[in-house]
Amino acid sequence: MAEKAVQSHHVVVIGAGSTGVAVAHDLALRGFAVTVVERGAIASGTTGRNHCLLHSGARYCMSDPVSAQECAQENDVLRSIMPHAMELNGGLFVALTEEHRAYKSRFQEACQTCGIDAPWLTPEQVLALEPHVHPDNLGAFHVPDGVFDPLRFCLSFLATARRNGADVFPFTRVDELIQRGSAVEGVKVSDLHTNRVRRIEADLVVNAAGPWAGEISAMAGLMLPMDPTPGVMVSMRGRYCQRVINRLGMPSDGDIVVPQRETSILGTTSWSVPRADTIPIPEEHVALLLERGRALIPALAESEPQGIFTVARPLIHEMVKDTRQVSRGFECFDHAAEGVQGLVTIVGGKTSTSRAMAETTADLVCSKLGIQAPCRTRETRLESYRAFYYT
Amino acid sequence: MKQEMSDPVMAFDGNELWTIHYRVFRYKRSSGKPHYDKFNVEIAPHETVLDGLEKIWAFQDRSLTFRHACHHASCGSCGIRVNGVEKLPCIVPIREVTRDGGTVLCEPLRNFPLVSDLVVDLGQFYRRLEEAHFQIIRSSEPIERDEHESSNVHTRFENCIECGLCVSACPVSGTDGLYFGPAALAASWRMIQEPRGVDPLSVRSNADQEHGCWRCHVAFECSEVCPSNVDPAAAIMALRQDLLKRKLLRLFQRGDHDRA
Amino acid sequence: MTEHEERRVRKTLAWLDMAGRKAGTWAFLLNRLTGLGLLLYLLLHLGVLSLLAMGEMQWDAFIALARSPLFLVLDVVLIFGILYHGLNGIRVALVGMGIGVRWQKGIFWTLMGLGVLLLAITGWLVFTM
Repeated sequence: MAEKAVQSHHVVVIGAGSTGVAVAHDLALRGFAVTVVERGAIASGTTGRNHCLLHSGARYCMSDPVSAQECAQENDVLRSIMPHAMELNGGLFVALTEEHRAYKSRFQEACQTCGIDAPWLTPEQVLALEPHVHPDNLGAFHVPDGVFDPLRFCLSFLATARRNGADVFPFTRVDELIQRGSAVEGVKVSDLHTNRVRRIEADLVVNAAGPWAGEISAMAGLMLPMDPTPGVMVSMRGRYCQRVINRLGMPSDGDIVVPQRETSILGTTSWSVPRADTIPIPEEHVALLLERGRALIPALAESEPQGIFTVARPLIHEMVKDTRQVSRGFECFDHAAEGVQGLVTIVGGKTSTSRAMAETTADLVCSKLGIQAPCRTRETRLESYRAFYYT
Repeated sequence: MKQEMSDPVMAFDGNELWTIHYRVFRYKRSSGKPHYDKFNVEIAPHETVLDGLEKIWAFQDRSLTFRHACHHASCGSCGIRVNGVEKLPCIVPIREVTRDGGTVLCEPLRNFPLVSDLVVDLGQFYRRLEEAHFQIIRSSEPIERDEHESSNVHTRFENCIECGLCVSACPVSGTDGLYFGPAALAASWRMIQEPRGVDPLSVRSNADQEHGCWRCHVAFECSEVCPSNVDPAAAIMALRQDLLKRKLLRLFQRGDHDRA
Repeated sequence: MTEHEERRVRKTLAWLDMAGRKAGTWAFLLNRLTGLGLLLYLLLHLGVLSLLAMGEMQWDAFIALARSPLFLVLDVVLIFGILYHGLNGIRVALVGMGIGVRWQKGIFWTLMGLGVLLLAITGWLVFTM
């Protein structure tokens, strides 16, 4: 049987951020034997510290229509497969000045092109929905943005992968890639709960280590052009809006307020760092976020920051000066092209599109191992995130 | 420019940098007894206790295990005891718990099985929440609320972030491993208030057990440490009142006839 | 010790783990201790009453002992136990039925204030009468 043939193939996935967990789920669903190793806790890297926005695609509709379309499609899929990890509250793109409102027709057309439903609301309608938005606003688009819980997002994927036979090992750090010649045949890991070292053999290794993917591929002597691009976020005490409030215009610093539970997350900025661990937070970024957040929602002035955090986006380096123009899309590398068999790297992308990234990656894994197994992640409802802990 | 960015110092508080002695609980399954390790950490007073742990991990000991994800008190995964008190270290600035040259004691949560270092096993805790049928609303329509409220009690994501601090602080959870604990009981009360398709009678009968809401000893420590203002203690008391009323009512009705 | 016994000892000792805990757990611990103390007192009291059956001599000897200053101090400790357990019990009973939950801290400290007052008065009476 074909099924059995798939199961005899073992894939190790490195990293339990949104990309790794979605890849593990996809592969497990296709019948592979899957082992996930993560050096820290689940979602302790980039995914955990993201600003929780379930993209409708509208944010990128003018700057990056390909990403926007992808977001719009994935938004629909995620809503149906993991409703327990998200708040489907919608979002507004608010024009505060004439300069913002000048984008109105361009935004409308871009949304149409990308298949995003975005009706225009008058200032009165905006204030009726969101009384704390700036009273002098000039109207807004209503889009199907949402809010998700990044940790629960990852746990849901992992709980489902586990149900389908995957092994998940958090606090298990990859020290070396096991290689025969240049071909990768597994990983040598340290279990940090016990400080023991062990080997995990694999037919294929998927490197989904996010901004740290370069460190993994370097173990196989490969150069991966990563560009860790952090953004600062400020979580304010208190919830001042029900929907995600964006500033209408091209994506830029400090143009979004995401409500999550009883907090409002102000995002975000963008700059470049040489390494992704413990990134210092520039004070002026915080000041800028506070100032711009208050421009959208003046009542935020009454509130105070409860958490200030930053983390690197796992972007691929391109020789561009403005870091905002680095592609938000993803890239899936088969390192066989560089002479290293058995290693696939997936980088870039967004949590909102991780299922699609996983589909592409799993397709590549299948073709490399000569297996035909269709992707079923679009229609498979995920387990409760809690199931990850108690099963 | 890049050189400046790699400097692990933040510029707040007029560039002030404190030296803090972290005393961190250590335990590895393979190697003997639990003990405390001491780490000296250079850290700005506005940085958080979690920032310090990350620095220890990044620059001093990569085998240190601790959970963390969101860094803004929303995921509930980083809960530990800081100087003995249950906290989410991601929102506790250093200056709130010590002074320059002071010590910060980091220990795992109480009343959970220990896994390693600061990591505990939350399996049973999550199972009990699941047994209370605790869930967020799943409809695709947003909840419309009172426009004049800036903040509301019931958001779509429940305020309980399922961090386990309440169970660690509860004196009864320490002595009775079967006790449901404050979070699961508070969750039960929420589901009774707003059942969302769940049968409230089954949630009630689940809570109405020896190790359920009656086991609480009214110490109110859960509500003291809750980082999300859930006030589990008040929920347990409300649950008791509700059950008590029903029991009394049944007692009087039984006089008439057994109406099942 | 078997592992099971060890766990049992650890769980019992968890009673006394006061690190980082606030008034609520102190109140709970003190309630348990005074409860045990009162139980012990009740047993002693029954024992002492049984002296009556042994004749006048034994009883008079006990009464003489009961008037010694040390014994009077123990009386005050007993009164403390009764007052604390009773007054905190009022709070626990009320709050446990869902009454006054929001004001439970206030209720506690008010009752404790009342307790201190009553203890002072009864203590004074014990030593002066």
